Amino acid sequence: MNPFLTVIPVQNQSLKRASLEVLSRTVELANEKGTTADVLLLGAQPETFSQLVASHGADRVFLVGNSLLNQHLNTPLLKAILMAIDSIHPSLVSFASNESTKDILGALSAALGSPALPDVASFWIEGDKVCVKRPVMAAKILANVKALFPNSGQKKPVLVSVRSGSYEVVERAGRGEKNVLEFAFDEGTLRQTLREVVKATAGTVDLAEAEVIVAAGRGVKDDEGKRLISELASLFNAGIGASRALTESGAYDPSVQIGQTGKVVSPQLYFAVGISGAIQHVAGMSNSKVIVAINKDPDAPIFEVADYGLVGDLYQILPALIQEIKAIKG
Amino acid sequence: MKFFVCIKQVPDVYAPLQIRDGEIHQDSDRQVLNAYDASAVEEALVLTEKHGGRVDVILAGPEKAHETIRKALAMGAEEGIHLQTESTSGQDSASYAHLLATFVKEKEFDVLSFGKQAQDTDSGLTGAMVAQLLDLPYTTNAVGLAIEGDHLIVTRQGDIGQEIIALPTPCVVTCSNDMNDPRIPTLKGIMGSKRKPVEVVQASSLHGTSLASGFTGEALTHTTSFESMPARKAGEKLQGEADEIARQVAKILSEKTGVFS
Ligand SMILES: Cc1cc2nc3c(=O)[nH]c(=O)nc-3n(C[C@H](O)[C@H](O)[C@H](O)COP(=O)(O)OP(=O)(O)OC[C@H]3O[C@@H](n4cnc5c(N)ncnc54)[C@H](O)[C@@H]3O)c2cc1C
Ligand SMILES: Nc1ncnc2c1ncn2[C@@H]1O[C@H](COP(=O)(O)O)[C@@H](O)[C@H]1O
Repeated sequence: MNPFLTVIPVQNQSLKRASLEVLSRTVELANEKGTTADVLLLGAQPETFSQLVASHGADRVFLVGNSLLNQHLNTPLLKAILMAIDSIHPSLVSFASNESTKDILGALSAALGSPALPDVASFWIEGDKVCVKRPVMAAKILANVKALFPNSGQKKPVLVSVRSGSYEVVERAGRGEKNVLEFAFDEGTLRQTLREVVKATAGTVDLAEAEVIVAAGRGVKDDEGKRLISELASLFNAGIGASRALTESGAYDPSVQIGQTGKVVSPQLYFAVGISGAIQHVAGMSNSKVIVAINKDPDAPIFEVADYGLVGDLYQILPALIQEIKAIKG
Repeated sequence: MKFFVCIKQVPDVYAPLQIRDGEIHQDSDRQVLNAYDASAVEEALVLTEKHGGRVDVILAGPEKAHETIRKALAMGAEEGIHLQTESTSGQDSASYAHLLATFVKEKEFDVLSFGKQAQDTDSGLTGAMVAQLLDLPYTTNAVGLAIEGDHLIVTRQGDIGQEIIALPTPCVVTCSNDMNDPRIPTLKGIMGSKRKPVEVVQASSLHGTSLASGFTGEALTHTTSFESMPARKAGEKLQGEADEIARQVAKILSEKTGVFS
């Protein structure tokens, strides 16, 4: 079987946990099938991370260095991945599912004539098929979906993107053989122009990486509520998320929306504060290890997914909780 | 500007559903306009009301999907194109993308817009597939659109922030529902929609035409069955005095999770 390839774009000089999760799973499957586990690292200076991916089982590490790949435009990224696929001939290509993957997966599929299996919760191989389970209907159910592996020699790998939190990160030594791929991109062929990148407030914790997330919903009505959310978050160095109600109202930045439209997160601990638990919100957070919900409505649907449901007014519970946690932490 | 908006009819995700023998059963056969596509239609209407132009919608689906085209016409789109398929089963984003691209290839337009994903499959592939098949500049997950001369200015929600990207027309964009609140059709709109033209094209007449990459209209992925989501169990509910339940949960969390260290 041709190699399995995990594509890892390096943005802002960081490599996300979700990428290592996908890599760990892909390496496991490559070992099972007796094929090579390759990694494609793309970015301004991708070699910074070749050691890290080697220690997570990469046999070969392909490096494409180009500062344009840091620019959030899909064309260079797409061209670079197609060029690499053309020289590596993988049978399976895996990605962590995030907005930059979502931006290119369809185009890659169409450019290659390849099947694409986006946003899967698990994937494995049966004979000549890649099989996945993926949440559908606002993550109310799981669909079993299959795609055929290409005949060897065809340039049509199966493409899979994986939801964060679906697999554990596993360290294992891989050969880590480095290969630099030359990528000449003519900026003149760029049809899009990036005018500006508006970053969410600097210094906030990345939701994709956070161990703990404190998420606010419409029950958080005012600055005092936001202050309590921030204080609880600061005790754990937690990421702050929000329901659509509060990103829509402008109370929180749109980039912290959690759910079907927003992000899929998978922290160790998730506080849902004043959030009703609409299916579209739950779709983004039900992969959390432990969920604590605070809501004054004892029948709020969020309690159906919460491990610990605190029934009451968040303006009374949060100050008490902050105090108790401070006391325990000493 | 001339907009084509691709719209999909999807089952109502709020309607109760059961799974029997690996298939989804919904008592209500209620089908709706995909929420993300409603936002794409709304935005196109707002932009053409401001800058001039027209909005037509394209839908690939079975006969029943006609009602969803009417919905978009009632919102204000001028004409509908119905790429009529036998049924929805066996189709995937790739097969729909092939149909849409084959139809649109011969047409003139400035912006071809999509929803960022279909609410029923949550795939989010079709827009970028069609852009690639037609070799058009594109971007995804737009939360705001504007027109400047012959450029579409897209505010895109990325992973860490928002990117503002200028695309020369013709171009492709996929829309988030975060960009607007779609209008509810007025009675006048609904009445008027009945007189608006809907062109019906048999999907079979578009099949087989091979586009650049070898997409032929065949589905490339196959959904074999559905199953229930492994449910999270509702856990403990703590009720009573705020101080007391805060104390209890803090203690439990410090013992059961590793996040206090
Ligand atoms: C296509 C589509 C995609 C969507 N995507 C997303 C998404 O990605 N993310 C998302 O979040 N939503 C999404 N939504 C919206 C979703 O359906 C809900 O409307 C939204 O999640 C509601 O937010 P909320 O829970 O904060 O507000 P509400 O539903 O208004 O709930 C507020 C809750 O706060 C409680 N409360 C009020 N005051 C207090 C108090 N003092 N103390 C304690 N509790 C209190 C109330 O009991 C209530 O349960 C989407 C919708 C659609 C149609
Ligand atoms: N059958 C269809 N007819 C028209 N547009 C569609 C169809 N399927 C998908 N689309 C468009 O493609 C978007 C993304 O769909 P998907 O890739 O299936 O998640 C939708 O929001 C629609 O805009």
